[in-house]
Amino acid sequence: MIEHVLTQIEDLNKKIEELNKQVSSGASVLEMLHALSTIETLSRAAGKAPAADFAHDLAQRTERADGDKLQRIVRVGLELLLDVLNESSSGAEEETPEPQEPPRPPAERAAPPAAASAISMPSSIAQDPELIGDFINEAGEHLATIESEILALERDPSANAPLHAAFRSFHTIKGLAGFLELHDVRQVSHDVETLLDRARNAQLAVTPAITDVVLEAADYLKRAVAWVAAALRGTHGNPPETATILARVRRALDGKLEPSAPAVAAENAGAAEPSAADKLSSEKPAAEKSGEKSGETTFTLRVDAAKLDSMMDMVGELVIAQSLLTHSPELARLEGSGVQRNLQQLARITGDVQRMAMSLRLTPVNQLYAKMTRLVRDLSRKTGKAVRLELSGEDTELDKTIVEHLADPLMHMVRNSLDHGLEMPAERIAKGKPAEGVLRLAASHQAGHIVVEVSDDGRGLNTEKILRKAREKGLVPEGHHPSESEIHHLIFEPGFSTADQVTDVSGRGVGMDVVRKQIQILRGHIEVHSAKDAGSTFLLKLPLTLAIIDGLIVQIGGGRYIFPISAVREMLRPTPEMLFTIENRAEMAMIRGELLPIVRLERRFGIPGGVQNPCEGLFVIVENEGRCFCLLVDSLIGKQEVVIKTLGETFRHVTGISGGAILGDGRVGLILDVNGVLREPVRA
Amino acid sequence: MAAALTLKSAPTDSTVKTDARAGKYLVFQLDREEFAIPVQSVREILGMLEITHVPQTPNFVKGVINLRGKVIPVVDLRLKFGMEAAASTRSTSIIVVQVQVVQAQGAQENGPRTPLLMGVIVDAVAEVLAVAAADIEDTPSFGQEVAVPYVMGLAKIKGKVKILLDITQVLTTGELARLDFDAFSH
Repeated sequence: MIEHVLTQIEDLNKKIEELNKQVSSGASVLEMLHALSTIETLSRAAGKAPAADFAHDLAQRTERADGDKLQRIVRVGLELLLDVLNESSSGAEEETPEPQEPPRPPAERAAPPAAASAISMPSSIAQDPELIGDFINEAGEHLATIESEILALERDPSANAPLHAAFRSFHTIKGLAGFLELHDVRQVSHDVETLLDRARNAQLAVTPAITDVVLEAADYLKRAVAWVAAALRGTHGNPPETATILARVRRALDGKLEPSAPAVAAENAGAAEPSAADKLSSEKPAAEKSGEKSGETTFTLRVDAAKLDSMMDMVGELVIAQSLLTHSPELARLEGSGVQRNLQQLARITGDVQRMAMSLRLTPVNQLYAKMTRLVRDLSRKTGKAVRLELSGEDTELDKTIVEHLADPLMHMVRNSLDHGLEMPAERIAKGKPAEGVLRLAASHQAGHIVVEVSDDGRGLNTEKILRKAREKGLVPEGHHPSESEIHHLIFEPGFSTADQVTDVSGRGVGMDVVRKQIQILRGHIEVHSAKDAGSTFLLKLPLTLAIIDGLIVQIGGGRYIFPISAVREMLRPTPEMLFTIENRAEMAMIRGELLPIVRLERRFGIPGGVQNPCEGLFVIVENEGRCFCLLVDSLIGKQEVVIKTLGETFRHVTGISGGAILGDGRVGLILDVNGVLREPVRA
Repeated sequence: MAAALTLKSAPTDSTVKTDARAGKYLVFQLDREEFAIPVQSVREILGMLEITHVPQTPNFVKGVINLRGKVIPVVDLRLKFGMEAAASTRSTSIIVVQVQVVQAQGAQENGPRTPLLMGVIVDAVAEVLAVAAADIEDTPSFGQEVAVPYVMGLAKIKGKVKILLDITQVLTTGELARLDFDAFSH
């Protein structure tokens, strides 16, 4: 018996040796897979289950690798396999022969694997950040699939397709995890895979308890992936706790599972590491899915985001160079020659390249919707309110940065709606509304803007309560009677919350001002419409492209400043009769019957040499959050489409300037952030 | 979890400290002192050009310039080191350096660290010099409580002392980076 095992181990080692040789001789994937399969069989026969499992996972990984990654994976995998073998052997009583060939360390990474007699598994693969990065990306995609499939399963427990899809995803994650020696992850994936397998073979009923536990398992996996991602960046936290979820899954397998207490998934998995997996995942996972739905396959490529950004920069410089060329006075003198025609052609092509480059960064808003669906489901369970989520405009495309930055604000607003906006079913019926509340998310393009609507048919904003709270906090002075729209905007003040109790979900008073800040970072703004008992509608309006704006170039002192045209209401040169001073401090201008405050930009920014007498300068009238202001500048230089360049870390704390731009003459102009200019107290 | 993910960074030179400082340096002048920075961090050298002032910045941040389509910040090294400002002369130059930015706290995690280009204004650019390990001396501590982290050492070549700067450190500290020059020169 012992001899039998010994022979098998010898065979095993020989096989591994062969495979090693094959790898260096450039054997084909098929040959390697064949060899790995033999190794697996031999391992099982020799009673080395861990080694067999590992060989299986390695085969799965190999199948999907290519190029020189393939070689690296197999080579490193084989070392580990040998270690696994030796480790399980060292615990056994039989004599084991020495491995025939000492494992060769991977060519690129200098760190050698630890001695085979070590108790813990050496993770030489773990020293390859690229492979780990792949794991994070792929796992992230699969987890997204799992979530949407299970949610679909909840709506229709008899559907089989979601079961298959979820099964495949857990199976893949299992393999990926095994390859990286994440044993707990592998175990959980394996058990859930078994659960789903039984479900799809009709051996297990799909009950809410089952879908709950699968979603919990997915959350656990998300936390695990986030932990790996953090470790990759050098932040070593505590790995997520496995025992609980494993126990629940096992109980589900034994048919003894109770429905869990509703936990808000987004809090557990999302809060700690906001969608690290999503952020790192490929550019167009949603496109792939929508392709599947319609029956066609859209061919997508995974592109390194950094390369895309570099290309965007270069396209930006191309546009500037082209523009300088087209507007160059010397070339303008060559009228009627072929040069003009060619320049126009160049301008046209450059415009096309630019539009195409911008569109590369666009992803459909679907990605966000998926997150919201999950959130709404969890929240509705938790609060006990019946909610129907209506989504529209799923195909609306946004710049990927916008999508990333919108996730948090949207979640805040959805929470607010569900917590404060929508009433409990009983209350709704008493008001004559249907018991089920409606939460609507709609995305659309409107005249150069993206509009994302979050609306509910709940209580609406309580203007009396808001005004009272604002007066208490001193935000609204005595005797001042703000308009309804101004009252609505008060909810964006920091620390504002009219909630009577701070609930777990929201109402801590940190919500809306953070939301507004986040929207402002995207150079957008929020509109509020609300009516008592009818509901509230929040409109998030964002510029279509982050990179280009139509600018009005003005002179202030010695510098050139740029107003985004969208911020400007009008411009005029004031006359002395229009100017008023209140209490010797605040300067105002009477524009068409309205008194508007004057802001001297040269004082606001401390720019020397600006025009002092408004009548010798220019008023740029802007609107910000429902109020209009007159900003004083020296003169108007012109209008220009400019590419926004961020000023970078150095200028992070500067308020009132949102970036820089290269002007037509090559000089740098500073782009004004109207909101930032006005928020700072005006220095007398 | 059973597996402990120990991620080792790429192997660094585990050589003696002085060796790491040896190499080619770009030497420039500020007031009466000569400084040197490793050539690997130097991207290009420009003459003085028009600098767009940005409001609300410390006085040593002069503003931004247009570097072939990129907007980069420019720092006046004299002011940064607490020296007196000086008028530009014909030899005043801007050295464009590449620094690795440490992620600020709370900043958005946007993947790989993007290297930052910054311009530094110097009185004059002198030469490129090969500095051997033997020429380098450690920075003497002059009873200063706080070590000066951005001075990597002193190079004594042909009787003249050049202060070896870690330009990344110089540019990424937000405050004034005062140097006690009298202590250095002799």
